[in-house]
Amino acid sequence: MFGSKKRKKPQRDPHINKLIEIVGEKEVLYEDADLLSYDCDGFTVHKAMPKAVVFPANTEEVAAIVRYCSTNNIPFLARGAGTGLSGGAIPLNREVIISLVKMKHLLSVDYENRQAVVQPGFVNLKLTNSISDKGYYYAPDPSSQYVCTIGGNVAENAGGAHCLKYGVTTNHILGLEVVLPNGEIIEISEAGVPDSPGYDVMGLLTGSEGTLGVVTKITVRILKNPEGKQTVLAYFDHIEDGSRAVSDIISAGIVPAALEMMDKTAIEGVEAGAYPVGHPDDIEALLLIEVDGIKAGISEQIEEILNVCRGRNVREVKVAESEEERGRWWANRKTGFGAMGAISPDYLVQDGVIPRSRLPEVLENIYEISRESGLRIANIFHAGDGNLHPLILFDSRKPGETEKALKAGTACLKACSDVGGSITGEHGVGIEKKEEMRFVFTDEELEAQIKIREVFNPDDLLNKGKLFPTPSRCMDVKKIVKDTVAVQ
Amino acid sequence: MLKEMAAPEKTAPCSSAGLSNYFSADHPDEDKWADCVHCGMCLEACPTYLETGQEQHSPRGRVHLIKSVAEGKIQLKEQFADPVFQCLDCRACTTACPADVDVGGLIEEARGQVRQAMPLKGWKGAVSTFFLKGLFPHQERMHTVSGLLKFYQKSGLQKAVRTIGALKVMPDHLASMESIMPELQTPVQKKYKDVDVIPTKGVPKARVSMLTGCIMDVMFGDINQSTIDVLTHNDNEVTIPKKQTCCGALHVHAGDREKGRKLAKQNIEAFENSEKVVVNAAGCGCALKEYPELFKDEPQWKERAEVFAEKVEDISKYLYDTGYEKPRSSLNKKITYHDACHLAHGQGVRHEPRQLLKDIPGVEYTELSNADTCCGSAGIYNITNPEMAEAVLDRKMENVPEDVEMISMGNPGCMLQMAMGVRKYGRKSEIVHTVQLLDWAYQKDEQNAGLEKSIAVAGEEEA
Ligand SMILES: Cc1cc2nc3c(=O)[nH]c(=O)nc-3n(C[C@H](O)[C@H](O)[C@H](O)COP(=O)(O)OP(=O)(O)OC[C@H]3O[C@@H](n4cnc5c(N)ncnc54)[C@H](O)[C@@H]3O)c2cc1C
Ligand code: SF4
Ligand code: SF4
Repeated sequence: MFGSKKRKKPQRDPHINKLIEIVGEKEVLYEDADLLSYDCDGFTVHKAMPKAVVFPANTEEVAAIVRYCSTNNIPFLARGAGTGLSGGAIPLNREVIISLVKMKHLLSVDYENRQAVVQPGFVNLKLTNSISDKGYYYAPDPSSQYVCTIGGNVAENAGGAHCLKYGVTTNHILGLEVVLPNGEIIEISEAGVPDSPGYDVMGLLTGSEGTLGVVTKITVRILKNPEGKQTVLAYFDHIEDGSRAVSDIISAGIVPAALEMMDKTAIEGVEAGAYPVGHPDDIEALLLIEVDGIKAGISEQIEEILNVCRGRNVREVKVAESEEERGRWWANRKTGFGAMGAISPDYLVQDGVIPRSRLPEVLENIYEISRESGLRIANIFHAGDGNLHPLILFDSRKPGETEKALKAGTACLKACSDVGGSITGEHGVGIEKKEEMRFVFTDEELEAQIKIREVFNPDDLLNKGKLFPTPSRCMDVKKIVKDTVAVQ
Repeated sequence: MLKEMAAPEKTAPCSSAGLSNYFSADHPDEDKWADCVHCGMCLEACPTYLETGQEQHSPRGRVHLIKSVAEGKIQLKEQFADPVFQCLDCRACTTACPADVDVGGLIEEARGQVRQAMPLKGWKGAVSTFFLKGLFPHQERMHTVSGLLKFYQKSGLQKAVRTIGALKVMPDHLASMESIMPELQTPVQKKYKDVDVIPTKGVPKARVSMLTGCIMDVMFGDINQSTIDVLTHNDNEVTIPKKQTCCGALHVHAGDREKGRKLAKQNIEAFENSEKVVVNAAGCGCALKEYPELFKDEPQWKERAEVFAEKVEDISKYLYDTGYEKPRSSLNKKITYHDACHLAHGQGVRHEPRQLLKDIPGVEYTELSNADTCCGSAGIYNITNPEMAEAVLDRKMENVPEDVEMISMGNPGCMLQMAMGVRKYGRKSEIVHTVQLLDWAYQKDEQNAGLEKSIAVAGEEEA
């Protein structure tokens, strides 16, 4: 490691020595001050220290680490950029963290067959940047795409603003190489042939939140840049008008590439952040709408969108006049979560999904939750696919406020599931929403899913304690007892 | 325990914050880390994170550690000092952060704390004492060094040393520093010692004061001269206040905030009567603008520092804002521009210097990819952290096209570092300061005008 040669090493845990044997001295962190930076991810409510952080350089090293951990009953988990918002990469059980950030290469691009092969630590946006000069791009665009890894995207089945039209991560994965929790390396659909016969194991692994295996190589679909693209910004005096406009646009038969919404508090945040656009401060909502495709049809769709907005009493609506202007609007939107830091010391972002048509009433419920809890809630979200992101603003330094925020978050999810929605659109369940899984699944359904996990991860050493409520049933209680005994 | 480390005469560890392991004086600002929401959007902007892949060497990790000391979770020891001092102070994170977290400010405050708890020892200590305390703040000594260096260059000794390989006896990175030492000119401080106001040719439109900078003036006296010439060419009278001193950036970066404050006070006083303070070294300009940060505990000075900071402007921005004559003569060169961190990230100056270049006829301007990533110079970072500095430089050089003839920039530290990069990779590109190019173009204008005049005169005589 740079500049740290002279540190005195304390007596080392024999497991650490083994890990060092696998990846080398420089690639293992095990001292407390070094580990501290790994005590949470983008979800900061829970914190826990790992046993070590290991940086493998290739699949074989990953497999060797996994094998060692599993034979020695050491809990472990995978970590990408640590931008997850549900605590998926937090080491609750003193895990060995397998950080994949050094496996960050673009392995190959096959333009003819429109696919690319990347290592799991390859950063999402870098893929588009590496192929854009040839006129291609990678569609899933989570707002964290500047930094999050494609491995992490696969684990969370990440979505993004442009997933309304193009689908989320799972629609763009053609093949995976995975290290199973016993250390075995498997390839799923290596050649990237879609729709291979048999069960859709790839679909199962995508979105499994790092509980079924460690992804070490990914074949993704790449797309040709759309011929044309236009972006509209619409300001509304009343949030209800904004919400109705969302449904109207979709009902009009338009499938925008993106249809995003922000409410008043969210606008206050992004305008105080690093990428302000100059949105008026007295509107209740704005919509950011993008249409793309073959050039011919675009202006008609834009005209139709403008009409819909006017029909819903829009105060002002405009079309981006340059790529630069469009870029500014998007930077403002995509850095929206982080920008909340400018108006609040902490935030908790929720991730509910609802039927689009219920947007007005759910938003009203969320504001009610805000009033009751006394905490401000900003909404900045993928309106087009009904994927809400209430950001609950709080100050963890004030006693009791974190708990209040968590409670408000749960209430928001309840509001979503009550109208037939779901508790996560793209950020995953992780630690954060595991209890809320009960809002959408019965005990039997949860049990069936745990059985699937057990096929891959029988000892629950890989990313233990995530995704499902604990203990979800008697068998889990037994397991906890067993684990405790094993540790003793 | 920290308590053991703290010498008795120093301030006691912070008592107000309860658990904090910091000293109470100049305590890192809680409001600064409270802005951080741990989103990680800064990770890919950070050169040291890209190099190491380790969170504690990222902006998010550093902020987390700084907060952890205040929470009493870790102490002001080496494992904290390491990530905090590995930071290049490049401020790329400030640009990337959506919440506008002042990571740079926090890191400097943390460094001050570390240096209170564990003063530098060994060769790093010696180098830093020599440069930071013994040399930079002392004009006469700097001028003596300049004289010696010049003698060394002129006497042929330099050539001899280089060819016979006596350089091999120096540590590698110091040897490569020596080999890119520029040809020295007389420092303008010395040259204009007896001049109060350097006049314009025509009617003056403004009067500006110039910070000459210590490294700039000694190593790059010609750039200071160009700055003066370009300013006066554009009808700005120039003064060089005598009492000015080193800006203190390097001291503050190194955690010596006490010395930083002393120098800041001297400069604030020296420029008290100036309306505008023009700076041609990005690092110095940024430091001057951040003087108020140093006086959290001295409200009166803070106020003066704020007034002062308002007056400070980078030369490229000053020219851009107040107008400059577009040269008529061509410099037929393929030129690219490297954003000095302390201009782009530190002062938000990106467009102005590029426009200056594009306004010079004949310049074939090419944009550098990742133009605003650090070159690894970072003050004296390349002396204290040579491995990382070199790794960062390698990444920078990967982006420099082979066929550019000149790489232009606005900071002397970057110029030395980039010169080292160009040399290491066997490139031919010349390293220039943006203002020099403008100056050369004006000089050409003048020569051409002179030529035209003499032709015209000759013509008249013939007639
Ligand atoms: C500001 C901000 C905006 C965001 N916007 C969006 C958005 O628009 N859409 C969206 O979907 N998400 C968004 N997110 C959430 C987050 O960025 C995504 O979940 C992302 O996919 C996580 O990637 P990562 O590399 O950071 O993974 P991490 O956070 O490191 O890990 C996330 C989970 O994946 C697992 N994992 C990581 N790598 C692997 C691997 N190679 N194999 C197996 N398991 C692995 C981890 O164990 C963990 O459970 C946002 C986050 C932030 C901070
Ligand atoms: S200043 Fe530069 S090196 Fe330091 S944390 Fe920020 S980006 Fe990283
Ligand atoms: S410094 Fe800014 S970008 Fe980095 S984690 Fe904190 S809030 Fe996010």
